[in-house]
Amino acid sequence: MKLTALRLHNVRRFAGRGVAIEGMGEGVNVLSAANEQGKSTAFEALHALFFQPHGSTGKAVQLLRPYSGGSPLVEADIVTAEGRFRLTKQFYGGKRARVLDLDRGRLVAQADEAEAFLAELTRGGAGGPAGLLWVRQGITGMDRRSNSEEEGERRVRETLLTSVQGEVEALTGGRRMAKILAACEAELAPLVTAGGRPKAGGFYALALDDMARLEAEETRLAADVAVLREALEKRRATRKRLAELEDPDAKAERRAATLAAEAAFEAAKRHGEALRTAQAEAELARNRHVTAAELLRVFDADLIRAGDLAHKVDAAQRRRDEAVTRRSRLMDEQDEARQAVAAAEQQEREHRALLARLDAALGARMAGEHLGRLQERLEKAEVERTALEADEASLAAIDIDPAGIRQLQELEVEILRLRVAEEARLPSLRIDYSPGGEGKVLLSGAPLPGGKDLGFAATTPLDIEGIGRLVLRIGATEPNSGALAKAEARRRALLDRLGVESLAAAQSRLALAQDKAAAVKLARQRLADLAPQGLGVLQAETARLAAAQSPALEVKGDPDAARQALLEAETLVAATRNAAREQAPLLEQAASAVVAAETELAIIGSDMAGLETRLGPPDQRLTRQAQLRAEEAQLRVTLESAEARVTSLRPLVPDLSVAKASLERISSVEVAANQQVSQLQVALADLNGHIQARADGAVEEDWGEAREALAAARARVERFKTEIAVLTRLRQELVAARSAARDLYLKPVVSELLPMLGLLFDDIDISFDEETLLPQSVRRNGQDEEVERLSGGMREQLSILTRLAFGRLLARDGRAAPVILDDALVYSDDDRIERMFDALHRQARDQQILVFSCRQRAFARLGGNVLQMVDWTPER
Amino acid sequence: MLRFLHTSDLHLGKRFGNFPEDLRGRLREARHGVLARLAAVAREGDAGLILLAGDTFDTETPAPAILRQALAEMGHHSSLRWVLLPGNHDSLQAEQLWEAVRAAAPPNVTVITQGAPLVLGSNVILLPAPCTARRPGRDLTDWMDGAATPEGHFRLGLAHGAIQHFSEDDAASDIIAPNRAQRAGLDYLALGDWHGQVAVNERTYYSGAPEPDRFKHERPGQALLISLAAPGATPEIRGVDTAGFAWRTLTLDLLASENGAATLANGLPPPMERRQTLLRLVLRGRAGLAGRADLTNSIAHLAPEFAHLECDERDLITEGEAGDLDRIDSAGALREAANALLVESRDPARSAEERDIAAAALVRLFSYCDAVTS
Repeated sequence: MKLTALRLHNVRRFAGRGVAIEGMGEGVNVLSAANEQGKSTAFEALHALFFQPHGSTGKAVQLLRPYSGGSPLVEADIVTAEGRFRLTKQFYGGKRARVLDLDRGRLVAQADEAEAFLAELTRGGAGGPAGLLWVRQGITGMDRRSNSEEEGERRVRETLLTSVQGEVEALTGGRRMAKILAACEAELAPLVTAGGRPKAGGFYALALDDMARLEAEETRLAADVAVLREALEKRRATRKRLAELEDPDAKAERRAATLAAEAAFEAAKRHGEALRTAQAEAELARNRHVTAAELLRVFDADLIRAGDLAHKVDAAQRRRDEAVTRRSRLMDEQDEARQAVAAAEQQEREHRALLARLDAALGARMAGEHLGRLQERLEKAEVERTALEADEASLAAIDIDPAGIRQLQELEVEILRLRVAEEARLPSLRIDYSPGGEGKVLLSGAPLPGGKDLGFAATTPLDIEGIGRLVLRIGATEPNSGALAKAEARRRALLDRLGVESLAAAQSRLALAQDKAAAVKLARQRLADLAPQGLGVLQAETARLAAAQSPALEVKGDPDAARQALLEAETLVAATRNAAREQAPLLEQAASAVVAAETELAIIGSDMAGLETRLGPPDQRLTRQAQLRAEEAQLRVTLESAEARVTSLRPLVPDLSVAKASLERISSVEVAANQQVSQLQVALADLNGHIQARADGAVEEDWGEAREALAAARARVERFKTEIAVLTRLRQELVAARSAARDLYLKPVVSELLPMLGLLFDDIDISFDEETLLPQSVRRNGQDEEVERLSGGMREQLSILTRLAFGRLLARDGRAAPVILDDALVYSDDDRIERMFDALHRQARDQQILVFSCRQRAFARLGGNVLQMVDWTPER
Repeated sequence: MLRFLHTSDLHLGKRFGNFPEDLRGRLREARHGVLARLAAVAREGDAGLILLAGDTFDTETPAPAILRQALAEMGHHSSLRWVLLPGNHDSLQAEQLWEAVRAAAPPNVTVITQGAPLVLGSNVILLPAPCTARRPGRDLTDWMDGAATPEGHFRLGLAHGAIQHFSEDDAASDIIAPNRAQRAGLDYLALGDWHGQVAVNERTYYSGAPEPDRFKHERPGQALLISLAAPGATPEIRGVDTAGFAWRTLTLDLLASENGAATLANGLPPPMERRQTLLRLVLRGRAGLAGRADLTNSIAHLAPEFAHLECDERDLITEGEAGDLDRIDSAGALREAANALLVESRDPARSAEERDIAAAALVRLFSYCDAVTS
């Protein structure tokens, strides 16, 4: 199909008038006009002509109507394989549709038949799927549009592909495939999630949960049953043991054994008692015999000793008497020696007292002499000190600081230097008297000396004899500085401080002071000779001695003779004392001998007394001895018989500990048996309780049920697993097969599109969406990009190229249809637009392309057949 | 003339945990109900004695309700004498159980507690061999050979256990001599343990469970009605139906060309019986895709009519024929998928599991296609 003309009347902005675009030809046709010229209106009208029923008052049709109302009229001339036709549609008032065969000039169809004719053209079949080839202003063809429109276009694309590649249904399984996949999904979805995990709440998940629950239940019940069976086993054992224990024969046997053991133990105990009695008796006999034997032995010994003592007592008395006599003699001798010592000592004391008195008198005389010397020296020292103090006072008055003098000297020099300098600066006057003129000039009344310079510092009047008074004045010239005055002031201050009038006075005072200082030094030395430790010490010493001075004594006698007499007396004292000391040990020895003798005698006496008491009167002693001997003999016999009894009893007594152990063992057996019986009965009661509880709970039945249920649940899970595996496998295979089929199905359009894409882009591949049959993603530089994410320019280019590819496919199928682009390249840059133009021209070799554009300059370069809009009035 | 009823393996209290909750209740109820049915058939057969040859109870500690209600039911039929022999499930070791039974047993219930002659009526001596333990490990009937009984008395044996490889449990050491009846001069030896009915010899029978509890045995649940004309006479034995539920296994050996659904329909019990039937289908042989899908559909359709229906198709091989695949699609993606699955199901390089899954996926695809097409 090819358009040759489009006419419209009373459409939108063309209220009450019409325009026509005539002369559309093969290849590229361009209608390039500024905005608001009616391009889009023409496009909309053309679209409505093909796609809106003439009776429609839908939105698309309403939009065609001018504001002023009226009936839009659209008319197009087309060329098809069947010939040339004119299609006319009027909406609203006078609505109609009409197809005119231009070649034959006859009406082909009207109203619904005309619509059917149009539908044939647009829906494929004999005509072309025109709708596919529309690309509207700013619509890239991949944006969302109304579903019906999308679906319509999709169906057109599908039809086209079907026509060249075969039925898509046949290839991909189509609706059957979709239904089968849906059925497969519907069975799978309740079981597993998309990720293949059990779906929560689904049968599979429930089966798994069920299995897990039953596993836990089975484990728990198995444990319960095990516990029950163990308890039953225990109870059987307990009952068996109880029966054994409570067997009457065994019981009686245990009783009898216990009784026998008790009897044996009692017998053993009795024998033991008898033996112990015999042993005690023997012990008693032994003790008594020992006592009697001892008594006898002591008595015999005492008798012998009494005889010995009777001899000893006489000798002791004699020794005592001798010792007493010797002691009294020695005591007398000692008294005499003591008297001699006392006399010598008296004499010695008298001599010593005389000598002491003589020594005291001598000492007192010598002390008086010493005091006199000290007092003399003290007087001299005091005189000396008074003189020294006077000298020191006068020295203090004239003492002068040598450093001050040195400073004064330096200051004098400085003042001199300053004064000379001062004078040198002063104005001077000099007169050289003419002969005869000498002394005629007076200065302050004195003649001014001539022939020499005189400086002056102040107003100086000169009286010149016979002439008058010449006053020399110095201006305000002050002396150079206050340095001289300052120095002089300092000198004045220094002199004041030193207390002198001048340097000379100071120096003479210094000499005076030095002489005085020498004198003072000399006086000090003298004072030190007189009182080396100071005057104070000398005074104290003198005072002390004066106080100690005692009045002089007068003692007659020669001290030397007195000393000799004392020495002799002392020698005598020593001699008498030694004599007395020699006497003392002898006396001591004698006293000791007396004591020893007395002691010995006393001891013998006491022994004698004791023996007498024990032995009794001497006449009865032999009788007593015989009696003791008889008693001893009798007791020995008693002891021997008792010991014989013990000896005879000992081997007859059974071992009591053995009998006791045996009794304990045997009776413990019985006790233990009784205890065990009661313990077992308690245990049995417990077991009965446990068993009863579990048995009443029918845990074994529960367990059996749980095991069976678990097996069933496991089988169920297995079935689900198989079911899921089968469904998953089937789905996988179906999806793969369908995908492969779709690739095959889309192959023609892809192979048409790729060369065109090559014009615009290097190295690009493209994949189509299986549902919309439009590009889904492109692959550039090894990277996949979703079409939706591409730039607007690229999207519109891709969109146009895709349509061109479908167009080419149509043309190749012998069903060429126009491609209509309404301001379709709005995002493309200049370079790309040129390439697009190339693509369009290349494409236009086989088919008609209508381009509506407002971009006049840009599209001027497109070339092709330029169309114009001209006024048009419909034929009536 | 002596008439008595021989039965065993009531397994009262069995829970059937592997079945859905509601069916479990019905099966349990049927186990209890068998007591009344046994009583009924005994009365009809003019038998005053019922010998229960072991495993009356399923566990050593049945729920008190199970036990007391069972005893009450037996007591209710006071004209009948019930003799309970401990089996391996309820051996003498189950003291708890037998104490409870003795405590609550009505006068017409006798519990065997030892292997010693028991006088039943004027001229009947019972030689019982109660199981002393779950696995006694010896032939408990040994003593019967030497047990003396008065001349002219009926000598009946009662035992529980395996004769050869019949045992329900796989124990081997405690095997009852198959010729025990002959060796011990028994008029009849009533055996329990095997849930199916077996005639060991003319005087020795396993009665089988009166109310089956598994698919293992084909025969319906029955008790045996024994008539002995006189001591030494050959017993006359008649099976009497007692089961509340039928446990049936239906095995279909299919051919690929066969209409499996039709074969199945022919083998099914009449619709009225299905509510009381637990059916286990074993499908073997080969089935085409279509045939298999049909079969699966008809089984799914039938299942609700039965108390329980399970299907074992492990040994059923699905054959994908070209014609079958054409029914999926002659070409296109569906056919491609079907081809891929078919190839995979026959690929020896893959594991058996993968092949099975691929085959099952193919069958599923086929059934989906059918559903979508129709």
